[in-house]
Amino acid sequence: MPQLLKVRPTKIELVKLKRRLALSERVQRIVKDRLSILTMEFLQTARETVEAKRKLLAQFSEAYKAWSIATGYHGYIALEKELIATEADLKVATGLRNVAGVRIPSLELMGEKRLMRGYNLVDTSSCLDHAAQLWEKCLKAIIELAESQKSLELLGMQINRTKRIVNALECVVIPGLQVTINYLNMKFEERDREEKSRLKRIKVLVARG
Amino acid sequence: MPDELPYEKMLQECLRGELRLVNAGLPRNRKSLSDLLDEEYPHVVCSDGSTHSFKKKELEYLASMVNIEEREALLLPLLIELGLPEAEAVIICKGEVEEGVISKVLNMPVTCEQGRIRIYKPQLALLRGKLKTTTQYVFSPEIVA
Repeated sequence: MPQLLKVRPTKIELVKLKRRLALSERVQRIVKDRLSILTMEFLQTARETVEAKRKLLAQFSEAYKAWSIATGYHGYIALEKELIATEADLKVATGLRNVAGVRIPSLELMGEKRLMRGYNLVDTSSCLDHAAQLWEKCLKAIIELAESQKSLELLGMQINRTKRIVNALECVVIPGLQVTINYLNMKFEERDREEKSRLKRIKVLVARG
Repeated sequence: MPDELPYEKMLQECLRGELRLVNAGLPRNRKSLSDLLDEEYPHVVCSDGSTHSFKKKELEYLASMVNIEEREALLLPLLIELGLPEAEAVIICKGEVEEGVISKVLNMPVTCEQGRIRIYKPQLALLRGKLKTTTQYVFSPEIVA
């Protein structure tokens, strides 16, 4: 049940309340539009996150298989010796993008295609090349998943906040204003009727007298 | 009334805050695709002073759809206007380049009327899915007029 606002029953108050109602409805429209956009983005990001996770798991499984084959072929100690020199800095371009007021991180792996990985090509085989290639793909998938998961989290938080504002406007502010405006209108009509009956009574008294 | 002022102020602040928030990501100046392709970290500065980064992959995708002259004419990010009564969303476009790009991305013919391309929610989702960083939402100023 919407609550009646405590206002003085005057015409000026009624005008002010009507202005407030118009303003509240405009705020509601913006917030609702924003909520629908955020929900659309959230659903899309959720689909992408599921897809990214599935892809990551498949790639990890493939990479571990290739890695086991490479380890079996070269031997663990020989492979470790080769891989000492392969350490490289990871270059990830980070930035922010704005989605309807929510700042979402944007991550992108730089320098994806590396021709030389640092290990000796003479002492190693194509098994190691294949495994390294798969691990690089995994790295890319991890970054994609990190981006979409963080986006999902931020969008979810913002949707909750926006929903609260929409509910407050829809269930408390606007109905309260509408009820008060109706109450004031009825009060003024009642006053008019009282005035009319009073005038009629006075007219009768004047006619008698 | 003593209690009316804070109430009105609160509503106005809410409206202003929401508008500031939703339109905070608007770019101060849009950059051409060719300029962005030359940058190491492609970005534009937004109206609130923050930066909006573009993904190189998306820029390359757009570059694959247009020729070299058109790259100069294509200004990014593409602006998607929301909150208009006549359509669910419209894309603000200056020339035929944007029209061609949108048509190719959506894989359907689109028409530009008075510098605007009308699209609907399913197409908007498709467009945003493919061009995440190269498109930007604008909430119509008509709502607050």
